[in-house]
Amino acid sequence: MQEKQPLGIYIHIPFCKSKCGYCDFCSHPPESEREIERYLNALMLNMQDFSAAAQGCSVDTVYIGGGTPTLLAPKQLHALLDCVRDAFDVEKDAEITAEANPGTVDRRALRALRKSGVNRISFGLQSANDAELRALGRIHTRADFEKSYADARQAGFENINIDLMYGIPYQTRESFAKTLDFVRALSPEHLSVYGLKIEEGTPFYARRDSLPLPDEETEYKLYLDAHRTLSDAGFEHYEVSNFARRGFRSRHNLRYWLDENYLGFGVAAHSYFNNQRYAYVSDMDAYIREMESPRDMAGILSECTDIDVFTKETEYVMLRLRLFEGLSLDAYKATFGRDFLAKYGKKLERYIAGGFMRAKVGRIAFTVKGMYVSNYILSDLLEF
Amino acid sequence: MSDRQKHIRNFSIIAHIDHGKSTLADRILEYTRTVSARDMEEQLLDNMDLERERGITIKARAVRLDYTAKDGEAYTLNLIDTPGHVDFNYEVSRSLNACDGALLVVDATQGIEAQTLANAYLAVDANLEIVPVINKIDLPSADVEKVRAEIEDVIGIVAEDCPAVSAKTGLNIGDVLDKIISDIPAPTGDENAPLKCLIFDSYYDSYLGVVVYVRVKDGVVRAGDRIKLMSTGAEFDVVEVGSMEPFGLQKRDLLAAGEVGYITASIKYVGDTRVGDTITLAEGGATEPLPGFKKVNPMVFAGIYPADGARYGDLRDALEKLQLNDAALLFEPETSVALGFGFRCGFLGLLHMEIIEERLEREFNLDLITTAPGVIYKIKMTDGSVRMIDNPSNYPSPDEIAEAAEPVVRASVITPTEFVGGIMELCQDKRGTFIDMKYIDTERVELHYILPLNEIIYDFFDALKSRSKGYASLDYEFSDYVPSKLVRLDFLLNGEQVDALSFIVHEDKAYARARRIAEKLKDNIPRQLFEVPIQAAIGNRIIARETVKAMRKDVLAKCYGGDITRKKKLLEKQKEGKKKMRRLGTVEVSPEAFMAVLKLDGDDN
Repeated sequence: MQEKQPLGIYIHIPFCKSKCGYCDFCSHPPESEREIERYLNALMLNMQDFSAAAQGCSVDTVYIGGGTPTLLAPKQLHALLDCVRDAFDVEKDAEITAEANPGTVDRRALRALRKSGVNRISFGLQSANDAELRALGRIHTRADFEKSYADARQAGFENINIDLMYGIPYQTRESFAKTLDFVRALSPEHLSVYGLKIEEGTPFYARRDSLPLPDEETEYKLYLDAHRTLSDAGFEHYEVSNFARRGFRSRHNLRYWLDENYLGFGVAAHSYFNNQRYAYVSDMDAYIREMESPRDMAGILSECTDIDVFTKETEYVMLRLRLFEGLSLDAYKATFGRDFLAKYGKKLERYIAGGFMRAKVGRIAFTVKGMYVSNYILSDLLEF
Repeated sequence: MSDRQKHIRNFSIIAHIDHGKSTLADRILEYTRTVSARDMEEQLLDNMDLERERGITIKARAVRLDYTAKDGEAYTLNLIDTPGHVDFNYEVSRSLNACDGALLVVDATQGIEAQTLANAYLAVDANLEIVPVINKIDLPSADVEKVRAEIEDVIGIVAEDCPAVSAKTGLNIGDVLDKIISDIPAPTGDENAPLKCLIFDSYYDSYLGVVVYVRVKDGVVRAGDRIKLMSTGAEFDVVEVGSMEPFGLQKRDLLAAGEVGYITASIKYVGDTRVGDTITLAEGGATEPLPGFKKVNPMVFAGIYPADGARYGDLRDALEKLQLNDAALLFEPETSVALGFGFRCGFLGLLHMEIIEERLEREFNLDLITTAPGVIYKIKMTDGSVRMIDNPSNYPSPDEIAEAAEPVVRASVITPTEFVGGIMELCQDKRGTFIDMKYIDTERVELHYILPLNEIIYDFFDALKSRSKGYASLDYEFSDYVPSKLVRLDFLLNGEQVDALSFIVHEDKAYARARRIAEKLKDNIPRQLFEVPIQAAIGNRIIARETVKAMRKDVLAKCYGGDITRKKKLLEKQKEGKKKMRRLGTVEVSPEAFMAVLKLDGDDN
């Protein structure tokens, strides 16, 4: 029997209690319980449609992201996961993650989640400083989070991620150090530490000139602080924004960087499957209508690109280099049949000499400093 | 005078900018029914887009009008429109020489301005009958009598019964036509004398070749004649002669003394038909050309480079095409370490330069990098030779220079008295030498200064406008070369000199200019992976420094939900931007940043 292809499943829940000032993801407060029901139904139809196509695949990660998935009732999440298992061949020890916002989950709901098969929970803490949380427009406090975190542990979650942000309004190196100390003491298995990016179209963008943001130099120091503090605390800084204890890297997120397939379901969800990258539109009505009575699948795709070998090579380099372990020269050669250094070596020299990249045994990787200007370097290295 | 000539009037309209020259021309066209109001597109004579937008006339133009006067006789009027800017003074003077009279338009609310005077003097030099016309009398602030008195006092011509009109509303335009017939003399000239045609303009047409606009002074020219251009001796066979009608060329059998018209003769280059030159017959032609011809020399020079180095060939083609119609434009290839291959271009003045740049960008779709404009310096070397330097890169080292001289102009500024103090201060600051000051009336003053041309092309005009709330007007003409303490100011990025940023400046101005450009470089150079020191230097002496801090952050921290395409597009866009970057040594600078640094926004702000 042929070995099954590994596959990841992403499910997007675009509902939030309220929208944060910096958020440009596809999310909104639900209009009604009916809207939620219809959307969940559409999701399930969407998954059933792909059941046949994914027959030869073995699902080893499921990720329910948002929005705020935990805005759904435990029953609803349970049904959703049942549907995933129904439509796809989900491995027994698959990593099944749900994002949760502190304050939106109580102990009972967490227990129910755990029971539904979710074995990894990701909390959007962002900051342990209440003033900063308010400035971000978050609906929870540090105390809310502490409670949710303890509840999650009690509910039996042994793999917890905490999202943090730096470069946020009012933040200083001191306040960030306190946030880092706070999370370190909780010893989660995984930490995502993102720099705030002011995206066009958000309320923050409109106010960008009056926001009390740390300057670029401070932001860089915050990034270094996160790297040092968390490395010292035993976390491996394995990707631009991700830190993990040994054995707890996010398997789902890794597949994005490792050129592995994933199917996304729901509005604005992205997929990489059969050498195609595509995404659904963020228009909820259009998505639901198409799922309920299919007319023109292409009409609800916001993008659809065939990944030829040229594009694949570009993406490969771009994505592998997001990992601090970098790119393996042998693996590259095995995949593309040519020598990485022959193609990029000349340009790399200057970045290696400047301390932005390093060549370790058989691998090329960004240094911590280089990772932070990786767009600049990648846009020089890569051809599109 | 032949009977034919009796019914011809050749005239032009002269005015200070915005006094309504083109609008008056439009009304005259309408009034003579040469163009119906329906077909009238505002300012028909200014048919270059640029001219309409800027409200100025850049190239001379001519149109023939038929008019039946009050006496019942039919007249042919040739209206020759003149360029309205100091950059084109020579062309104005030649256009005026093609006429027998000129309408001097003066704004009833503004009175006489610097270019009113300059143009009036040019008309006097050309022995023209000047007919003053007071315009904009429909405006509430119009003061016709005051302006009338001003014209008489300042220019010294009778303005007692001059037409007072509103070109905008069409009021009293008939008076202007009457005056043209009664006051402007009919042309004189001997049809039987050897041919003498004055070239006052020419342009290149892809079907006809060069179309030469002429005023026939003596003789007759027909299709088939072999003609000779007297300044070069070049000969051509006339293909066609005719007149300029409002909507195109009209072929005619001949052009005779006193008439204005065009000649085509399969001429390939406008450079062969220089404005001011005389056309005669190759056989039995005139022996002496008409007076006043000179080859115009560019006064302002700048390097022009394609923002995208690959478009060097396109830039060359575009310049060649523009030169077809603009003999005053000079260009020769030059190479800059920083900017690659481009051209050193010579212009009549700043406006001329701006026009060429805009046309290159609009009509040829080119993105340009233009270096700071400069003038020609005259350098006496220690070995006794004299060198004319139009490119800072060629400026000799100080120990080879015995004496450096820079061009100065004689400038005339007319301003309301309240701004005199500020303007004198400005002229002083721009190293001007005061000559005199004359009261035009109790409220306005004419100031004369000798000013270095390189200060004028830097930011003088803008500063003048801002210090006079826009009221002061300026005119100038080349005067002389005078010895000056000049230095070459260089800029270094990361320790490497960027040749394209160098310029020549007076020693006293060097420090302030250096500080300012260094700051602008700092503000405009994008952060690089490395810290970039900026230095301004005269020779080996660093006189200003700044630092561009290293870039710290350029990363997409979050790649949400596997949205790889977005990240790739972002990098792709960044790469596109990078391709446009110019490498100045180890530093990458976008063309926009480069232009921002060179932009002449003056020392004032």
